[in-house]
Amino acid sequence: MFKRHGRAVALLAALTLILAACTSSDDGGSSETTAGETETTAAASSGGSVLAAVQDRGKLNCGVNNGVPGFGFVDESGEHVGFDIDYCKAVAAAVLGDADAVEYVDLDAQQRFTALQSGEIDVLIRNTTWTATRDGSEGATFLHTTFYDGQGMMVKADAGIASLDDMANTSVCVQSGTTTELNLASRFDEGGIPYTPLTFAENPQIQEAFIAGQCEGWTSDKSQLAGLRSNWPEDQGGPEALVILDETFSKEPLGPVVRDGDSQWAQIIDWITLATITAEELGIDSSNVGSFGDTESTEIRRLLGLEITGDDGATSVFDPGLGLEPGWVVDVISAVGNYGEIFDRNLGSDTPLGLTRGVNALWTDGGLLYAPPYR
Amino acid sequence: MTETWTAPKATAAEWARRNLFNRWYNSALTVVLGVFLAWLAYKLVVVLFGIDYEIIRRNLLLFMVGEFPRDQIERPFISTILFGLAFGLGAATAAASARHAAAEADLAYAAPTPRMLVRRFWPLLALVAALLAFTRTVMPTVMALSTILGGAALYFGARGMPRSMVRWGWMGTLVLGIAAFAVIIVGVDGGWNAWGGFQINIFLAIAGIVIAFPFGLLLALGRRSSLPVVRYLSVTYIEFIRGVPLITLLLMGVFALGFFLPEALRPGPAIRVLIAIVMFEAAYVAEVVRGGLQAVPKGQLEAGQALGLPAWKTTRLIILPQALRATIPAMVGQFISLYKDTTLVNLVGMFDVLEVALVVNSQSDFIGKRLFFLTLAFAGVLFWVGSYTMSREAQRLEKKLGIGER
Amino acid sequence: MTSVSETTERTRPPFWRDLAVLRVAAQVAAVVLAALVLVYLGNNLVTNTRAQGITLGFDFLDQPLGVDIQLSPITASNTILQGLIRGWINTLALVIVGLPLLTVLGVVVGVARLSSNWLVAKLAALYVEIVRNIPPLLIILFVHNVVILGLPPKNEPASPLGWFSISNFVIAGPWFDASDGAGAFWTAVAVAAVAAVFVWRRRTKVNEATGEPHHRVAYSLGLVVLVGVIAFFVLGRPLSWSLPVFKDRLVTGGIQGLGQYFSMLLALVVYTASHVAEIVRGSIQAVAKGQSEAANALALSGFQRLRFVTLPQAARIAVPPIISQYLNYTKNTSLAIGVAYAEVTLIAFQAIGNGQPAPQLILLLMVGYLIFSLTISFVLNIVNRRMQLVSR
Repeated sequence: MFKRHGRAVALLAALTLILAACTSSDDGGSSETTAGETETTAAASSGGSVLAAVQDRGKLNCGVNNGVPGFGFVDESGEHVGFDIDYCKAVAAAVLGDADAVEYVDLDAQQRFTALQSGEIDVLIRNTTWTATRDGSEGATFLHTTFYDGQGMMVKADAGIASLDDMANTSVCVQSGTTTELNLASRFDEGGIPYTPLTFAENPQIQEAFIAGQCEGWTSDKSQLAGLRSNWPEDQGGPEALVILDETFSKEPLGPVVRDGDSQWAQIIDWITLATITAEELGIDSSNVGSFGDTESTEIRRLLGLEITGDDGATSVFDPGLGLEPGWVVDVISAVGNYGEIFDRNLGSDTPLGLTRGVNALWTDGGLLYAPPYR
Repeated sequence: MTETWTAPKATAAEWARRNLFNRWYNSALTVVLGVFLAWLAYKLVVVLFGIDYEIIRRNLLLFMVGEFPRDQIERPFISTILFGLAFGLGAATAAASARHAAAEADLAYAAPTPRMLVRRFWPLLALVAALLAFTRTVMPTVMALSTILGGAALYFGARGMPRSMVRWGWMGTLVLGIAAFAVIIVGVDGGWNAWGGFQINIFLAIAGIVIAFPFGLLLALGRRSSLPVVRYLSVTYIEFIRGVPLITLLLMGVFALGFFLPEALRPGPAIRVLIAIVMFEAAYVAEVVRGGLQAVPKGQLEAGQALGLPAWKTTRLIILPQALRATIPAMVGQFISLYKDTTLVNLVGMFDVLEVALVVNSQSDFIGKRLFFLTLAFAGVLFWVGSYTMSREAQRLEKKLGIGER
Repeated sequence: MTSVSETTERTRPPFWRDLAVLRVAAQVAAVVLAALVLVYLGNNLVTNTRAQGITLGFDFLDQPLGVDIQLSPITASNTILQGLIRGWINTLALVIVGLPLLTVLGVVVGVARLSSNWLVAKLAALYVEIVRNIPPLLIILFVHNVVILGLPPKNEPASPLGWFSISNFVIAGPWFDASDGAGAFWTAVAVAAVAAVFVWRRRTKVNEATGEPHHRVAYSLGLVVLVGVIAFFVLGRPLSWSLPVFKDRLVTGGIQGLGQYFSMLLALVVYTASHVAEIVRGSIQAVAKGQSEAANALALSGFQRLRFVTLPQAARIAVPPIISQYLNYTKNTSLAIGVAYAEVTLIAFQAIGNGQPAPQLILLLMVGYLIFSLTISFVLNIVNRRMQLVSR
């Protein structure tokens, strides 16, 4: 008798609790309308300075790619190499004084913003395209572009395709979770071009499908396509067997990304990129960075944190107040070199990618690289 | 002389007639399949000996340990040796305890000879030999030899241990096993996030099932509990997890787990994946254990009650030891399936052996060479050897336990 | 009665040792614990999503998908919900075709392992032992990158007999081309099929009652064919034969499937069939040896022995574990992310990558698979129960 009764009581208690749990989470759900507090909570929850956290840890957690040769790739010795990787090193050199104090976190296209939001990485340098939506609603702040890219389409030279409009009834390979995939859909839908997208998660598989002729087009950032094209093996016809169509159907500015809510950290990353550009402009590179001790140029003395003698004869060291030790630029340049060196080492004509500077040249050479003055 | 020489030949023809050409349709099948097999074997030989293994040779370390810091590369080597020792000691202890149990019950116990062991573990030994053929330095050979010889020496040396030592044998196995893990976690740059390649598949499988076991045990007991609420909670969890694919749990671990935890408690990538695997595995372990619990006759429970033991003591001292012993083969089966499932982690961005097998095809020397068949087959062989060996051991164990029970 | 209960009332131990009280307490504790965990997690979810400016709720399902889905009318301007539904349809397409295929292959290989032909038995064993010990994802990647991509490229399809069009992009075969009246035709055939079931039952009963041969296959199949043929001509030939034709980079006509689809189908059928084969073999061996011997004594042929004696009995043992293999197959279709087949997990994965909220999408995915699995096991368990009863 009591036994059955007890069971009923227990069930009742259970039900009450479950209901209570439901209502309480309902409360939470309905209060989401008060989104006004969003910003402050984000700033508060990120717990202050990323810079201090990185310096305490003695390591920079850098979110990177591991499958795009030239930008972020794991080579056969298990080392990360590439353009983006060098910028991780530059940040570590500036902030910690040691370019090797980096812990690379390999990220999929899908995962990168989650990793950034959750604080797992301090900075994301993984050929990530700057868009308004990502800036606005992914909890991310995009910083100065390190590489100006554009989306292109690569086809086989004998396919009889000269422009995107010739691509009716083709199949196109694209990587999932990228802006590339979205641009492809809008470009082809707007142009009224019927096609079949094959969305792979991994680049090597796209490569295989493309070689086998499963997809006729391969769309990606033009730099990546160019890299693949110049590496195309001779038994497949060599680079001449492939054509990258002229049309660039989107702008793809790639650069570092940090979490919203820490403007000091964002400024530091920004100025590291800018310092590499300024250094190239001033002719400072990794081989000569130590030789400017007695240069007359105040501009160079400011950048390299050398003592500057004022009109009154007093000496001082220029500190823009970024929170970095004066002379941090020397650490950066001696570790990875200036922008031109980073470019040449990973993407330039001596590398398998063999890219030319193009729009990624200094403004003085007709490119887009234009750094604000360091003063 | 001639008689003894022809006798086996006649038997062979006889054998062929009985087993290959006993009916007209069987004869036809034999011919067709024989031609097919010969063609297949020919193709296989041509491929096996005709291709360039450069992509494997150059990336062997990448396949094995991924991005593990190369300046600490001796640690995985030491870890492998420790694993070999742990395995040898564990097997020795198991053999010793089986021998003591057999002696107690007046049953015969036949210890395996080295030759039997070679026959049982030949795929493993063949794989090691093949891998060593790909290496360019002497260190891997030293490691492999010390692992195999060390493990074997410990096995043959320690399996005669007296009854009182069995407990210490288990303890030693545990210590060696933990040490093997510790060597590649403690003091390594990046801890277990530095892991990659085949190493992370093995790690996730072992850690996954070991950590999931206690949870699975609780769930299984909960499912058989006489308390309805506990039973319903367990059943709900088990059936929910078993109804969804592992990949959804991994996606949850990678993309959504962070949302359910406060910032301070958010784990790194490897641990997040491990949590998802443990959540998944616990439900399956629970079902395996439940199978074992059901196999224990009801009289055992009644005997415990008759002795006046409280319920938890009956469970712990009478039911569980019998139930768990009966689950060993099924548990090995579950481990094999988890071991194979660890390949899914490359879909959520881990640098596991399958990811390596894909990525190496983008190295500038191998672009466009169409070597997927080779890299994937290589990864396949790595899995097959472990999986096949374990499943055969499980079958052997099943037979043995079945005989023991009768 | 009352006096007994009164005595128990009196001799009842103090409440902390009263089993009844303890049982209630334990259950309440379990519920409280579970509820606390849930509330804690839910609370964190709300706090964290709010902090990151992500909205809870399912309004995002009405947002545009942003991507096109292969071989479907779903384009970037359709909603995410429509995209997910399309994904489920693609998943279903793998399941519906795959389950019968893997059953047939599994049974054939399982029987072959016990063949009296040594070569056949060994070959079957080789297949089983190789395939079931390799991870399914690896098999999928291998089949896709080696077998399917090994077919002719998209623009140079092979067309054996002129009936097929085979390339690594699309594999197409002959199918019906429907014109006016096709709906009426299919309705007639469906009605005939239902009628055929009754005829089958009726013939079985007649056979059981009178012992005269039932000929149920001939009767029921004949009915369907007869109705079909009559309907076909009465309705003015509503169906014609449609062959796939390759022209201007496009295969038209016939029935087609993407290379990706066949990669998944082939890989998963081959993998799951190896497990089914083991189940079939085990079940046949579990049928008492005396049954085979009795069949031999009746001078049944090998096939008859299998068809009428061994397999029906083995099926009873084999069905439950095979159902669980069906569920595994269904769950493994989620691995299509690896080869770009647009089933539901891939579409959810894509949406997450394009900034849609992960917790809700994954929850939807899980609930969907749960419903899917439960439906399959529900239907198959009914089949199973019927089989067990019938054969008793």
